[in-house]
Amino acid sequence: MTQQENTPLLDVRSVTMAFGGIVAVRDLSFTVTKGEILALMGPNGAGKTTTFNLIAGALLPTSGQIFFDGRDITQTKPDARCKAGIARTFQITQPFDELTVVENVMVATMPYHSSMSQMRKDARRYVQMVGLAERADVMAKGLSTGQRKRLELARAMATRPKLLLMDEVTGGVDQKSIPGLLDLVKSLRDEGQTLIIIEHNMRVINELSDRAIFMNRGARMVEGTPHEVAGHPQVVDLYLGEGGGHA
Amino acid sequence: MFQPLTPFKWLGILGAIIVMLLLPMVTQDTYLLHVLILAMVFGIFASAWNFVTGFAGLKTFGHHAFFALGAYGSALIGINLGLSAWLTIWLGGLIAALAGLFIGLPILRIRSMPHVAIVTLGFAEIVRITLSNLTDITRGELGLWGIPVFDGFTVPGLGEVVFSPADKVPYYYLAFALLLLSVGVITALMRSKTGLSLIAMRDGEDAAESLGINLTRQKLQVFVVSSFLVGVAGAFYAHYITILTPAAVAGVDLMILIIAMVLVGGLGTLSGPLVGALVLTILVEFLRDLDTFRMLVYGAIIILSVMFLPKGLVTLGRRWKRPPDAAATEAE
Repeated sequence: MTQQENTPLLDVRSVTMAFGGIVAVRDLSFTVTKGEILALMGPNGAGKTTTFNLIAGALLPTSGQIFFDGRDITQTKPDARCKAGIARTFQITQPFDELTVVENVMVATMPYHSSMSQMRKDARRYVQMVGLAERADVMAKGLSTGQRKRLELARAMATRPKLLLMDEVTGGVDQKSIPGLLDLVKSLRDEGQTLIIIEHNMRVINELSDRAIFMNRGARMVEGTPHEVAGHPQVVDLYLGEGGGHA
Repeated sequence: MFQPLTPFKWLGILGAIIVMLLLPMVTQDTYLLHVLILAMVFGIFASAWNFVTGFAGLKTFGHHAFFALGAYGSALIGINLGLSAWLTIWLGGLIAALAGLFIGLPILRIRSMPHVAIVTLGFAEIVRITLSNLTDITRGELGLWGIPVFDGFTVPGLGEVVFSPADKVPYYYLAFALLLLSVGVITALMRSKTGLSLIAMRDGEDAAESLGINLTRQKLQVFVVSSFLVGVAGAFYAHYITILTPAAVAGVDLMILIIAMVLVGGLGTLSGPLVGALVLTILVEFLRDLDTFRMLVYGAIIILSVMFLPKGLVTLGRRWKRPPDAAATEAE
């Protein structure tokens, strides 16, 4: 292995994000290597989406540093992080309502083509991949929740990212569509796509991820294989203690 | 908007251009041409405001400042330096564009649209009050007069073209050329990557940024282009009407009229502002006797059109057909 391959793709170093007195992420450090799939787990309010916002640049950390591909991106703006190779989906979907599905994806393919027709052709490929081909020319505001999630994924994929952040892609999706989405993510993994996923569905985490970090109150509580994390006494305690037990 | 135009649409555009070109050959009625010239000036203004607000989603209520800066800028350069109006209208546009850049910069940092509206409106008030109080230069509310008209020229085969209050035809064609240029620039931008970026930014700023769109660059670009076009429209207006008062070109009444035009015609559409400008300019002429009650009528028009025709007149045809999106959503 060369030196290049040893450096992690993403290196989060002691990052803290405080909103006034509320600390959403506390002294969090982790790395992701190329080709790896990392799952972020934890109860609501654990700081998972805030962590995504920090990596994608929507938030600038109160302290700490973030390195991507060997470069310090702590202060880099979201559009520049996208160009550097980070893409994300939004937990609360943000479709461009007045653009068609394929035009939504064209926004992401802009840097790769000079003509609109080439962009359209390229975008159609991604629309097809996520199974929205039939809805390609419909305004995005006409999509169902599940379709919006897929559109988010198509747009993020179309930026051709080195690192893809997927925030609850299966959330709100009807049960019969989940296997299709899982297959899609697996095919991305097989192509060597590096992923960080936020997921509540334990089956999805088990099937997809190599490693999981369990967060609670903004800090890392447990780290290991998905199996280890799910069986960890502290994790079990947290869920059972809350009277849940649904993890 | 990003699909190639259908032959039907091409024919419609071509037909409208031909009708506009032939009209002065059918009638030279001074009053009719005057109303159409004003409609075209407002058409440029409305299209350019719609570019910023309807397409890019930046809700600015201070665009009349750019109209005034273009008008006064061009007129004052003409009066004081003796430069031809053919040159100064572009300088007027540049002055407005510089002001657009100046006001665009703070807007970049404001993500709350009500605040953008207030900041731009405040800026326009500063411009109006300044123009009204710099009486040594602008003569304030007494009005700036003695503004040079466009120089005449000779067209081989057609004879001499003279710009005078008695003959509106040359102004008509000049206004039409400026309208075609402005709408052409906006249309070309909207049908390119810029248009895609602007609508993405309008519909989801965070998502657009996460997909690599540089919000700073897009916002400044749209502001500069729009204020330039509004400035040129204002400059043309100055050399056409040949008298300017701060109340007439920098008053908020003008902005409200433009907003009404765009809302009536169709916010966020290419043809809506033009249709709205034509309809409302004619309506304003009919309502001239109402004088101070005019604002009341504009207000009522805005409210009625937002209530019953939220997407504007140009979507009327589409409403009669079955809306494809709604049909598809129901089918799901």
